[in-house]
Amino acid sequence: MAEREQFWSAPPEWETAEITRAGFSARPVLGLGQVLVSGQFDAARETLAPGAPEAGLWSVIEGDRYLVRIARDRALLVTSQPLAIQSGWHAQGFATSPADDGWSVFELGGEGLRDVIAEAVSADLDRGSPSAAVQFAGTTALLYRTAENRARLHLERAVAAYVWQWLETRKG
Amino acid sequence: MQLFSCPFCGPRDETEFHFGAEAGNVRPEPAASTSAEAWADYLHFETNPKGPSREIWVHTTCGEFFLMERDTVTHEVKGSQSLRRGEA
Ligand SMILES: [Zn+2]
Repeated sequence: MAEREQFWSAPPEWETAEITRAGFSARPVLGLGQVLVSGQFDAARETLAPGAPEAGLWSVIEGDRYLVRIARDRALLVTSQPLAIQSGWHAQGFATSPADDGWSVFELGGEGLRDVIAEAVSADLDRGSPSAAVQFAGTTALLYRTAENRARLHLERAVAAYVWQWLETRKG
Repeated sequence: MQLFSCPFCGPRDETEFHFGAEAGNVRPEPAASTSAEAWADYLHFETNPKGPSREIWVHTTCGEFFLMERDTVTHEVKGSQSLRRGEA
């Protein structure tokens, strides 16, 4: 029986991993709160995070709690620290699934950010999109910004090592 | 590369979409009194029009199913429409 573990490259040590180049940098963002919200978006925002801003594709979001829109009836509530939100159905018309560790989050930055992103994404970033979900290097990701030249990428944990390796091999 | 338009997300690369079915192919009911021929017709026989067509597609990135009108010869997309009541 082959040692299947060896088929894949080892994931990096997320606590210390970083990519630093002249025009591009990346680092994992650890310890965020992430809750998947499914159902009526407005009711969920009103109940869980009144007034919290909503991030779409490539939009610039500010603050330490916001909703990253995935679909018409789905969003990821992101907070600076994990929240004690109960899992399950809420009578207001939505369900919550705590997923603090379900997505890995990378922060990308630098003058060459746009070039690196352009290699990964075919969607028109300047046009934007209500949904932050997009195909990134062949896998589904959530992509938005926290400043003009600083982006955040949420990836399902299982593909984080692959995308990190992909980012490491960019010229940018 | 071609752009398709999701009613929620807007224009995205065609690779984010997947064909679902021809629009208007309604499942015959009730199942108990549906003939084998009608059931087979529903499952296996497509109209496969040459030219203007109405199809159900899914935007796999966000999961939205919608109606897309396009031309199977010129590949021109006429428009997309949400399948939800009360949504544009
Ligand atoms: Zn969509």
